[in-house]
Amino acid sequence: MAQPESARRRPLEGVRVIDLTRIVAGPNATRLLATMGAEVIRTEWHDDRAIDLLRGVRPYAPGGDPESVNRSGLFNNINAGKYGITLNMNLPQGRDLFKRLIEKSSVLCENYSPNQMERWELGYDVLRKINPSLIYVQITGMGKSGTYNGYLSVGPTAQALSGLTHMSGLAEPMAPAGWGYSYLDHSTGYYGAILVLAALLQRRRTGRGCYLDLSQTEAGLMVSGTATLEAQLTGQPTDRHGNRMQSADWAPHGAYPCRGIDGWIAIAIQDDSQWASLVTELNAPDWAQHPRFAKAIDRKTNEDDLDRLMAEATKNLDRYDLMHRLQNRGVPAAAVQKADDRCERDPQLKARDYLQPLPHSEIGTWPIEGFPAKFEKIPVDVGGLPHRGAPMMGEDNDRVYREVLGLTAEEIAALREDWVI
Amino acid sequence: MNNEAALSSALAGTVILECGDERGEFAGMLLASLGADVIKLEGRNGSNSRRFGPFTTPERGPEHSLCFSRYNLGKKSLSLEIDHPSARIALSRLANRADVIIDSGEAADVERRLSLYRELQQANPRLIVCAITPFGLDGPYRDLKMTNLTQLALGGVMAVCGYDPRADGTYDTPPIAPEMWQAYHIAGEYAVIAITAALNFRELTGEGDLIDLSIHEAVSTCTEVAMPTYIYNGAVVHRQTGRHAAESRTRPWLRRTKDGRYVKAFLFWGGRDFRVITEMLNEAGIEHDLESDEYRELRKSSPSQAQAHFSDTIDKLVASMKAEEVFHRAQAKGLLWASVRYPEENIDDPHFQARGTFQAINHPELGRDLDYPVSVATDGKDRATAFTRGAPRLGEHTREVLSRAGLTDAELRELTAKQAI
Repeated sequence: MAQPESARRRPLEGVRVIDLTRIVAGPNATRLLATMGAEVIRTEWHDDRAIDLLRGVRPYAPGGDPESVNRSGLFNNINAGKYGITLNMNLPQGRDLFKRLIEKSSVLCENYSPNQMERWELGYDVLRKINPSLIYVQITGMGKSGTYNGYLSVGPTAQALSGLTHMSGLAEPMAPAGWGYSYLDHSTGYYGAILVLAALLQRRRTGRGCYLDLSQTEAGLMVSGTATLEAQLTGQPTDRHGNRMQSADWAPHGAYPCRGIDGWIAIAIQDDSQWASLVTELNAPDWAQHPRFAKAIDRKTNEDDLDRLMAEATKNLDRYDLMHRLQNRGVPAAAVQKADDRCERDPQLKARDYLQPLPHSEIGTWPIEGFPAKFEKIPVDVGGLPHRGAPMMGEDNDRVYREVLGLTAEEIAALREDWVI
Repeated sequence: MNNEAALSSALAGTVILECGDERGEFAGMLLASLGADVIKLEGRNGSNSRRFGPFTTPERGPEHSLCFSRYNLGKKSLSLEIDHPSARIALSRLANRADVIIDSGEAADVERRLSLYRELQQANPRLIVCAITPFGLDGPYRDLKMTNLTQLALGGVMAVCGYDPRADGTYDTPPIAPEMWQAYHIAGEYAVIAITAALNFRELTGEGDLIDLSIHEAVSTCTEVAMPTYIYNGAVVHRQTGRHAAESRTRPWLRRTKDGRYVKAFLFWGGRDFRVITEMLNEAGIEHDLESDEYRELRKSSPSQAQAHFSDTIDKLVASMKAEEVFHRAQAKGLLWASVRYPEENIDDPHFQARGTFQAINHPELGRDLDYPVSVATDGKDRATAFTRGAPRLGEHTREVLSRAGLTDAELRELTAKQAI
């Protein structure tokens, strides 16, 4: 039976994206566009100075050629669903080919260092003459305009500047804990995808393209917004509060040790009724009956003692068992899960097919983290149009240069010979 | 206020009904910044987030929450009890003209309203419904009770954020949830991706859709190297102070400055970084032995020891200057370092002022403006997104919105009498 029309269509059908991104932030943006059905063409070069560092980042798929640039698991996860070509942008012929690709594309997403495109004479002023309806999203650490327009950044740099590092961790005199991963590489990628999706809607209506200068640091400032307002109100510098809830009298509210190596449970008590349930599950210890913990405001006032006593009470308990016992009583509680827990002991992620097995042309089929929403109609596929993991370096040269630019096999061979592709 | 920003009309004419609780508010706010007409449906007592601090006045009234005013910028407020039987007529009229309904909360609550939304979709097949729930609308964990903290625990973020272990590898500090509402930020960003993708899909097909977004999955996608490390190598990463969680200990990034602050100063071992850091040491007049024959020999014979010594020497360099001086001097040399700022320190920074990162929003109860972070991108000059208004007062737009939806004065009087509005 023929499928309905909508079942064959994807949101970004017919949208070609030139992906001139590296590391994590930019590739995350284009990954999401590929998931939504865009034809994302990842454009790379393979000499030592130009290669995407992520191709060399651990973990690697086991076995195979240790010198291969196609075996990074992180690269595979972040670049799933894309086509891959090589293109030497340092040669005039390479830049000419790039312009021809731009002419045939809807979107350019790029996150080289801030002035690299101008050094290649490929700034927006040049590109929009080639393709007036082009949507060009440029991702930099601080933002391309402004006084820091030459400053360099990776996710942790932007996290430091935006205040996120300072705000995460236990109160002074402890140092900031910061973030144990590049959250702003993830989040900036999400914003990159949002900007493109919104600009495409705008272009459908107006026919106009646009240039968007996306800043990782500003993505961080979006997270710390409420604290920024409070600091203006009080005139006091923003502080950090560990895992405690500052916006309401919720206590206990934190991570408490459990049995086993580095086992923890997070518990968030929102009201007196949940507190009563927690006390029951902890076998009603004497300390928990004390009036200083009777009401929410009392528990908040005595939170240091409360946290210490809670830690004593949970330290010999199994984190999953306690989580489920508390949940059965309607108490928000969750095991602090590591990656092995999420892969092996999380029935929810399994039931929702969170990990999607996708083939890769060199390393075989591996699970890829999926898109966190299901759609009733829209076919969303983290494997993108090619329905596979990340491309090998230059894997799709023949297809892209032939089908997109109309080059012959002989022309492609000559470009390869001349070190242009 | 700037409402002429490059992308502020991307969603012009798009009407979004935002129901539910705090879990969906960030998504609605981002959509408002793209020009959508976001109508917040609040019960007569107002949204949960009106009761979260910090508050602008000691009364802690529903109009005084900075948490609410931050996450509801640019929206209209309709005071309507959506679960009230008499609200149906109002919802139907609103939904006839709406493009998107966002509902957020516990799955059972959202699902209870889902049959109504499906009926509304029958009448308006272009309607997009986005359900934001802790685990999605199915699966064994569907009905677990969750908060931002417990989502960050179960989703894997907490396990990678925190402090260094003791020398024996065990931890005496808890995993850290980096910042309040981070889980809802991640979910909100994904919700906007999903909704704008669905709007693009609707341009192609004329059809709406139902989006079932899981906060747990959204958080799970956001731990960078943690999942691939387990999937490919069967290894688990361990949290460390102020830097990425890793399989084995890495050198510190956070370093103390002369003014008692911190900078994030990475130690890349490459030749260029080594050279410019040595230059900085010489310029600052700090005694060091990095250019000595003995040190050159140490680099060859014991790279690990040499690296530790290099890291200690960077500590000395950083300790000789104030944080902001380290930041600017290092960036002038092309190092990816940054000062660990309080978020509010960016308000007066000329870089962010030039970019229009913050937008002044008036607070009548304070008799002054507060600067809100509103934009993550510019169009090359001015901010690309902005808000046309601050957060609404409770029910501020009830009459206006319902009248525009076609309800008569008599119907409005009846809804009032029945305490539905």
